[in-house]
Amino acid sequence: MFENLKEMNFEIAEAHCDGPCGVYDPAQARIEAESVLQLTKKILDLKRPEGDDAKAHAAYQNTLTRFIAIKEERAELAKHHLLVLWTDYFKPAHLEKYPNLHELFWKAAKTCSSCKQEVSLEHAEELMDYIKQVHEIFWETKNKDVAWYTAS
Amino acid sequence: MENGLRDDDWMDEIAFAAGLRDIFRIEGDSMSPTLEEGDLVLINPHAELKVGDIVVARHPFKESVKIIKRIAQILPGERYILLSDNLHESSDSRSFGAIAAKDILGKAEAKIKPET
Repeated sequence: MFENLKEMNFEIAEAHCDGPCGVYDPAQARIEAESVLQLTKKILDLKRPEGDDAKAHAAYQNTLTRFIAIKEERAELAKHHLLVLWTDYFKPAHLEKYPNLHELFWKAAKTCSSCKQEVSLEHAEELMDYIKQVHEIFWETKNKDVAWYTAS
Repeated sequence: MENGLRDDDWMDEIAFAAGLRDIFRIEGDSMSPTLEEGDLVLINPHAELKVGDIVVARHPFKESVKIIKRIAQILPGERYILLSDNLHESSDSRSFGAIAAKDILGKAEAKIKPET
C-alpha cells in the first residue's frame, strides 16, 4: 500500500506548539532581560571622550551604538519569550489561581518597550521583577520548586 | 478503535491518487499516543465532522502553519473546539480558542503504514 512514500514530500501537520512540545522556561526571557539590564548600566557608565581626538570619539560612538543596538535586540527577544509563554503555555484554567496573569504579561511586555525607548535602570530592573513574578507563577503551575537566580 | 485511526487500505491509495485525499506528516507529540512524530495521516477534505474526529486545521494565528487536533466540541455557528490527545502543556483551543469551519482542512481517516 502507498509505495514510494519515502520519495514524496508531504505537508506538515504540527502536533506541537512553539518550541519542542512541552518545553517552556521563563529563563529565556530572564537571560534577555539581564542583558538589557547590563547594557543599560554600560550605556550609563560610558564616558564621552573629552577633546577633539577623532579616534577616541569614533571608538566611543562605535561602542555606544553597539550597546544600544544589542539592548534593542535583547529587549525585543525578552518580549518575544514573554509572549510565547503567555499565548502558548498559560491556559484559561491558570487564571483561576492567578487572576492578574494577563495584566502581569501586559506590563512586562510594555516594559520591554520602555527599555528600548529609554536608557532607564528603573525600567530594566522593573522588567527583571516582572519576569521574576512570571518565573514564580510558571514553576508553581508545574509543581516544581525552581529557585530564581541571575547569571550576572 | 473509537478514538484511534484505522490502518490504510487499497481504497485510500486510489482516493489519494485521484486527488480526493491528502497526506500530512506529523511533527510533535501533542496527539500521542494516537499519532506520533513522523506518522503519515490520510486526510479527507470532504468528510462530515463530528465530535471525536481528528482534523487538520489552519493555525488561527500563525500563517501557513497547519495543526492536527481532535474535535472536542462543536459550537453554534460551525466553530470547533480542538484539543490535543496529549493535554500536557500542548497548544490547542484552550489557548487559541475555537476554530472556524472554513479553517478545518479535513478529517484524519487513516494512519498510513509506509511500505518497507
